[in-house]
Amino acid sequence: MTDASDGTLFAQVRDPRNRADPYPLYARLRARPVARQDDGTVVASGHAEIRALLHDPRVSSEDLPPAEHPRTGNPVKDWIVNPLKDRIADRHRPFIFRDPPDHGLLRRQVMAQFTVARVRGMKRRTDALVAECLERCAEAASFDLVDDLAYPLPVTVICELLGVPREDEPRFHAWATQLATALEPESRKDEALRARNTETFDAIAGYMRDLIREKRKAPADDMLSGLATARDPEAGRMSDPDLIATAILLLIAGHETTVNLIANGMLTLLRHPDELARLRADPERAPRVIEELLRYEPPVHYRTRVARAPIPIAGTVIPEGAPLVLLFAAGNRDPARFPDPDRFDPDRADNQHFGFGGALHYCVGAPLARIEAEAALTALAARLRAPRLAEDPPPYRDGSSLRGPKRLRLVVDGIA
Amino acid sequence: MRVVVDLNRCQAYAQCCYAAPERFVLRGNEILVYDPAPPAADRAAIERAVQACPVRAIRVEHDAPAGAA
Repeated sequence: MTDASDGTLFAQVRDPRNRADPYPLYARLRARPVARQDDGTVVASGHAEIRALLHDPRVSSEDLPPAEHPRTGNPVKDWIVNPLKDRIADRHRPFIFRDPPDHGLLRRQVMAQFTVARVRGMKRRTDALVAECLERCAEAASFDLVDDLAYPLPVTVICELLGVPREDEPRFHAWATQLATALEPESRKDEALRARNTETFDAIAGYMRDLIREKRKAPADDMLSGLATARDPEAGRMSDPDLIATAILLLIAGHETTVNLIANGMLTLLRHPDELARLRADPERAPRVIEELLRYEPPVHYRTRVARAPIPIAGTVIPEGAPLVLLFAAGNRDPARFPDPDRFDPDRADNQHFGFGGALHYCVGAPLARIEAEAALTALAARLRAPRLAEDPPPYRDGSSLRGPKRLRLVVDGIA
Repeated sequence: MRVVVDLNRCQAYAQCCYAAPERFVLRGNEILVYDPAPPAADRAAIERAVQACPVRAIRVEHDAPAGAA
């Protein structure tokens, strides 16, 4: 058996023992840039192939298990009853799991609230929040970057943007962690996990329903009030199930992604002390450093899709109905696209990474993530005296898709 | 400083509009309007826009410093 035909490579990627360094597995997967795994999942790991599939209309984000409604041969069931059932279930699915045309309408309504002014308005606030976090660590000889900065910063920012009371955070912290597992492929097959996620969704949906009712009564200058009261010229007012699903998605995305960008970012800079020193000397390097981090150690390693038709690509055919994994973090290190891809090099030209995905589903929160990462990393570079890692590699969170340290303990000689 | 956007590459991801809102604006969600000669004071904002573009469609040419050959 040749190495690339090993149909367990993606299962190995999901194995927690490989969390600290999945990149050698990605290199082996790329030997077949579109590779069928033993469980029928198809994994795309080459840059060109991921890019083509991101733009392919036969690739769907509505990843219901394909066997949920097997064809019965009864046309009333196949074409009316079951699609209607799907339709109703659909309304609880946020736009990240939707296809055109619904996806476009929902996304447009979110973007209408994600205004340049509102996002840019968070810049100064973000700097102040970073300073507050570092203030609290100032007396300690060591601290946990995840608990003390990388997690609370994006959570506070998304709460303030959405208009979700920060003091309720302990309640939805657990909900967010639970629902983030919906992005892991296991959630498709694991009935117990699906049941737990449904239960959690009901709890958080109840919370959001109450909050949205309050926003409608007394709208404030926040995104949730905007979403609850705005009227799109084409789509009209967003329905309550869509509104709740959207609010939950934005809240969870704010909890589970940027934390990894900041923690992976500082980990990478500490492993490349020259780059940390250069950032300290020249904060204007931050945008380059952050784009390279998004390529080299992205917060989201892959997203799943479903093939809605047979797709010939890279010398193979993705079968209709096949679960599809777009392994962004592997495409980001494809030597066919990036010279010397395993080198962390903020000066690389032409850095077209998949750090925020791409095409229709490109990360809505990208500008916010950039602002938060820049505020955090420039402050850490400027203010930590002689920072070093207490453990390398650090322990990782469970997710293989949303991948990042669970804890990143730093030892410092002081905080300026 | 001169800014050139390859509008054949541009796919209206709008990341430049967040990075440098005074110099890049999307009209009707798909037509990019931009300032081809921004002031030198905007250098950092323009650099953010260049770096943030998902399809690398923005190019900047810096003026030679005064007195340089």
